[in-house]
Amino acid sequence: MKSEYQPKVIGFLCNWCSYAGADMAGTSRMRYPQNIRIIRVPCSGRVDPLFVVKCFQRGADGVLVSGCHPGDCHYTEGNYHTRRRFALLREFLDYLGIAKERMRVEWVSASEGQKFADLLSDFTAELAGLGPRSKILDG
Amino acid sequence: MDKELIQQIRDKARNLLEEGTVEGVIGYERASDGVTSRPLFVYNPSDTERLIYDETCAHNLVKYLLDKKGKKMAVVVKPCDSRAINLLLNEGQIERDNVFIIGVGCPGMVETNWNHKSETLQAKCRTCQLSKPVVYDFLAGGEIERQAEEETYSDITEEEAKSVATRRGFWLEQFGHCIRCYACRQVCPGCYCPVCFAERLDPLWLGIRIAPEENDMWQTIRSFHLAGRCIGCNECERVCPVGIPLSLLNRKLEKDVKELFAFQAGLDPEEKPPFATFKKEEVMEFEK
Ligand code: SF4
Ligand code: SF4
Ligand code: SF4
Ligand code: FES
Repeated sequence: MKSEYQPKVIGFLCNWCSYAGADMAGTSRMRYPQNIRIIRVPCSGRVDPLFVVKCFQRGADGVLVSGCHPGDCHYTEGNYHTRRRFALLREFLDYLGIAKERMRVEWVSASEGQKFADLLSDFTAELAGLGPRSKILDG
Repeated sequence: MDKELIQQIRDKARNLLEEGTVEGVIGYERASDGVTSRPLFVYNPSDTERLIYDETCAHNLVKYLLDKKGKKMAVVVKPCDSRAINLLLNEGQIERDNVFIIGVGCPGMVETNWNHKSETLQAKCRTCQLSKPVVYDFLAGGEIERQAEEETYSDITEEEAKSVATRRGFWLEQFGHCIRCYACRQVCPGCYCPVCFAERLDPLWLGIRIAPEENDMWQTIRSFHLAGRCIGCNECERVCPVGIPLSLLNRKLEKDVKELFAFQAGLDPEEKPPFATFKKEEVMEFEK
């Protein structure tokens, strides 16, 4: 039996869009990889860069931050802040040796169950390609 | 030492104290090694004679204003340090009316060690374009000519050209040296949180264990907390007892903030910093 490497993905999903999108993927019985551990947050703007860095420190292979599409945030502008913050953090983590492909920021609405399922398949495949990172020891 | 300039600083400090314009003056005096300098707090007009200024006065004295909130203080400020004043004004930490800024021109600070000063300019000084402070009330010695090199961020692009794995190895090695003394934080004008994340116990973001992965987390977050706020005084790197090249972190963020958000900290006290604002129409790399 071949034991395949399964990347660990942590996903921060906003309550109003992306979490509902993930829910939709589930209730519609769409198939997607089981690699993700989902943490529901009130808004993608709630995600402190600290959360993401901590995930990587504790051995996550990939981190997803997902919220409503720009213009659709339940709190009007939370995701505009998310966008700036993580655009910079991705670059910075890459500079520190955690490849930016390991961190994704995606806009997924409540009706985009399929998009959620597809993006997880894609992300998991990409992470599998990058291979495991043992805690902080390799990027 | 520029005698004329020093006399102007002393005279100004004496006047301010005698007239009661300020309670105290924060400046520099000769350190006990007879070569380098150290911060001096003057409350008595007769002590103004101890004030000096030369190429060893590296400390960014603006940090001390945070300890003197609500008091009227004068402070000797170099061009680079003056950006910290704008940062603190922008963030509502100090009141303009409470601070009298004795600006000084700067020929560049040199690398020093106990009892020794070299001829080598500090790296930040080689590319510093400021001929005078960006904000001041009195300019001692007037504006001076500077022949600075162009800022190309060559140190950063050199790092960027390496592979991700190489960079990982480099930083883990560097962070492995950190003894978590937090000197880099204590000296930074932008680090003034009443409770730093590094000392929060619940949740415990950062283990107090001194291990590479904890140190890594410490420096990643410390430098990111200064993103779009770091004014480049490089005091953190200067005081790090184990010589971790923190400027490579701060300057990477400075460069990216410039490129992504067209912003530089401390130049304008009114301009909104990059994380306090956004543009609806902007598109980031991950959206393409
Ligand atoms: S490292 Fe961050 S939390 Fe700590 S004092 Fe600096 S800005 Fe505040
Ligand atoms: S991070 Fe370092 S260079 Fe930047 S403002 Fe703080 S002490 Fe100065
Ligand atoms: S000054 Fe240097 S050794 Fe001390 S906490 Fe900062 S990086 Fe670590
Ligand atoms: S509520 Fe979904 S991003 Fe703000």
